[in-house]
Amino acid sequence: MSHDTTKKTKGLFWHQAVIALLLIYLFLPVMATLLLSLAKEWQSELVPHHYTLQWYVEIFTDVRFISAMGRSVLVSAITVIISLMIMVPAIFVIAVYLPKWEKLLQIAVLLPFAFPPVVTAIGLIKIYSSGPIAISGTIWILVGAYFILILPFSYQSIRNSLRTIHAKDLMEAAEILGAGKITAFVQVILPNILPGILISSLLSFSLIFGEFVYANLLVGGSFETIQIYLFNKMRTGGQTASAVVITYFILIFIISGFIIKLGRWKPKEYVASTIAKGGE
Amino acid sequence: MARTGSSKSKIMLMALVPLLIWVFAFEIIPVFQMVVMSFQNSDGLGFTLDQYYKGLTTSLYLEAMKNSIVISINSSVAAMIIALFVAYSITRFTTGIRDQLLMVSNMMTNFAGVPLAFAYMILMGNNGALLLLLERMGVEAAGSFDLYSQTGVTQLYIYYQTPLAILLVYPIFYGIRTEWKEAASLLGASTWKFWRYIGIPVLLPGLLGTFSLLIANALGAYATAYALTGISFNLLTIRIAALVSGDIFPNFQLGSALAVILAIIMIFSLVVNELMLRWSRRRGT
Amino acid sequence: MSYVKIEGVSKYFGSTKVLNNISLSIEEGEFITLLGPSGCGKSTLLRAIAGLNDLSSGDIYVGDKKITHLPSKDREVGMVFQSYALFPNLNVFQNIAFGLKMEKMDKEQYTVKVEEMVELIDLKGKENMYPGQLSGGQQQRVALARALIKKPKILLLDEPLSALDAQIRRTLRNEIRLIQRKLNMTTIFVTHDQEEALTISDRIFVMNHGDIEQEGGPRSIYTSPETEFVARFIGNYNVLKKSELETTGARLVSENELFAIRPEAISIFPLAKEGHNMDETINIICEAEVVMSTVLGNVMRFDMDVKGIGITVDALNESKIHWIKNGMTVQIAIPIEECKGLRIPS
Repeated sequence: MSHDTTKKTKGLFWHQAVIALLLIYLFLPVMATLLLSLAKEWQSELVPHHYTLQWYVEIFTDVRFISAMGRSVLVSAITVIISLMIMVPAIFVIAVYLPKWEKLLQIAVLLPFAFPPVVTAIGLIKIYSSGPIAISGTIWILVGAYFILILPFSYQSIRNSLRTIHAKDLMEAAEILGAGKITAFVQVILPNILPGILISSLLSFSLIFGEFVYANLLVGGSFETIQIYLFNKMRTGGQTASAVVITYFILIFIISGFIIKLGRWKPKEYVASTIAKGGE
Repeated sequence: MARTGSSKSKIMLMALVPLLIWVFAFEIIPVFQMVVMSFQNSDGLGFTLDQYYKGLTTSLYLEAMKNSIVISINSSVAAMIIALFVAYSITRFTTGIRDQLLMVSNMMTNFAGVPLAFAYMILMGNNGALLLLLERMGVEAAGSFDLYSQTGVTQLYIYYQTPLAILLVYPIFYGIRTEWKEAASLLGASTWKFWRYIGIPVLLPGLLGTFSLLIANALGAYATAYALTGISFNLLTIRIAALVSGDIFPNFQLGSALAVILAIIMIFSLVVNELMLRWSRRRGT
Repeated sequence: MSYVKIEGVSKYFGSTKVLNNISLSIEEGEFITLLGPSGCGKSTLLRAIAGLNDLSSGDIYVGDKKITHLPSKDREVGMVFQSYALFPNLNVFQNIAFGLKMEKMDKEQYTVKVEEMVELIDLKGKENMYPGQLSGGQQQRVALARALIKKPKILLLDEPLSALDAQIRRTLRNEIRLIQRKLNMTTIFVTHDQEEALTISDRIFVMNHGDIEQEGGPRSIYTSPETEFVARFIGNYNVLKKSELETTGARLVSENELFAIRPEAISIFPLAKEGHNMDETINIICEAEVVMSTVLGNVMRFDMDVKGIGITVDALNESKIHWIKNGMTVQIAIPIEECKGLRIPS
């Protein structure tokens, strides 16, 4: 017995060591950036000797930084909202009423994996830099491209939410009880898929916030997002750039925190659906 | 509803129209346009295979392809190996810690591209803090490390592929059920024999699938290497972007041909992934 | 005058026929069951009555009203789903009240009715709980209350018990029957469990491949199956071809080609001559070898071999049959009137 437990704890020690190494590996670059952003100066030394918040003060008083942040928030928010308005009804209709279309939707959703932004950008630039819809260099071409970029994530999470609540059964139950389709959707479906939708929105939001390729190739300097700002700052002021990176990282951290909170908020039917599955 | 079904489903179809328009406008038509351009001459006219010929014979582009493929394979192999150890360790912890570790991995997948390149410059660039530390500890090789070389860029690729690999490998490990191990040991199999005959064969399709996803992920990446080295590091994505972003002489047709080649390589690795998924599904794991 | 009438209903999914020209009628207050294996069309028929599936042809009447083309919400039917389909964002009270709210009833008015219902299904004190906090049985009671509160013209139950464990299933089954009687609610119940169907129903419609193979009260369905499918599905009948039955020594006058014999109708005797005094004119007497015996609680089941033909015999598990051992040769007596001729379905 005691031999067994020592063996087990010894095993656990190795696993803890593996995880510790992983965390060091993952957080080391972040830590280095954090140190640089707090250092008065840091050259040819192991760790800086004097610390300051001046780089943060600098970026938060820089109009260019604030506007870049604003642009990133704006383009992320517009894209996520449009995506929800289009995707939620479309996926709902396909899941509940037109299951035959599901395959087609899945193909459309998988395409972005086969055609990375660099590839898609070529056609986008060509089509939208002249002609009837000349939106190249504006926020709108980014919204258009980002909608496709987040398609796989929004599809997956909305679809899963609908599946866990047995959306079809709920709609039928509501209709038999006298609700019209729209009433049923608003009162019964929407409240139950809300947490799932919020999680996917936050994931999409952080994805767009960190996107560089489209931003660089489609709009570049004419619509400076936070990533483009950082890219430009990197060459000129290293320490202000590090403050930008840390600010960006804190933002991701906060969004991830929200995602965890929402993820714990299990759909209330959780227990029931597993029972129902067991009987099938 | 009865017998009016078809008109009802026509109204339903209306809900799909905006999505269809969007997918066509920003996904299908651009890709189609790109394929068309790849068969045109450099003035955007005619039908020719010249661009493909140029792409597949110019040493600059051939080297870009080679670099892209090599860096993708190397970084994917390294990330897979790290992920195998880590994912197995993660399964050993309680659910609470497990969820937290997965959440950390999920969060770190966001730390890629420009911020990552910058952080690595601080850490391992010229006078990088980590290099200084290693040098003082007597690691000679640290002095000659060049972040802007292929080895350096590979480091960044490994870094951003690792959390993704963990997220993909963990569920596969989780699929190994304790009852299988128990059943195998009751039938007289040692731990090694269990992995040899049951564990690895069960994991393999999923792992190969993950591997091909990682390859595709690395092949399509652009931001990290571009942020680190500008257009000086020769990767296929960087060549394509340079050809169309118009800094020097934009050549959309050649860019398109290279993009089609890249897409074909990526689709190939995704097809492998799909086949692996089907294989593992067919065997009911 | 029948209350629910289904006339010539057919349904195709693509080229597969799931309902084949079905007609049936139900009296007011009757509890009927659609019984059959999965894929027999029973759920499709039920959902068509609810307006959840459309029909390829045929009509459905409730009262005197044709409801074939009405949307679900105007059909005045109540339905309980296998997956309960309770609204997870609403508590017990709100779930039950949902239908009345849809009618724009005032809160004071529906509160009274909901409280009545909560009492009827015995969930007093649980009004503020959410579906996720209830057990499977409790959830299904809420679903029942939700379906009944609008006083629907028919209550449709789609395998409502199949997700529950055996114990709760039996209790809830009896409760459903009691409530149904109390409210005199016309009810259509769908199940694949023949025991459930036999205990709960006034009448049973046995369905197979989109057809109704047989209808009747539980007793007649059980004792007089008309087709091979019903004989096998309802109760482990021995189904023998005419030629097989004749090898056992039977002299039959019937025209039928297939016969069903209830296992418990056959009796077993020792080989010795004095072992039985059965009248050979009304019984088929033959020798049989005991291949296997199984204890099914109060019944023993013997698998017998009669000249190469397998026959199952059930006997009450009491001490007077304990002499029967595997491998033994015994005599069995099959009452000729228990050999029910079967119809071959077209």
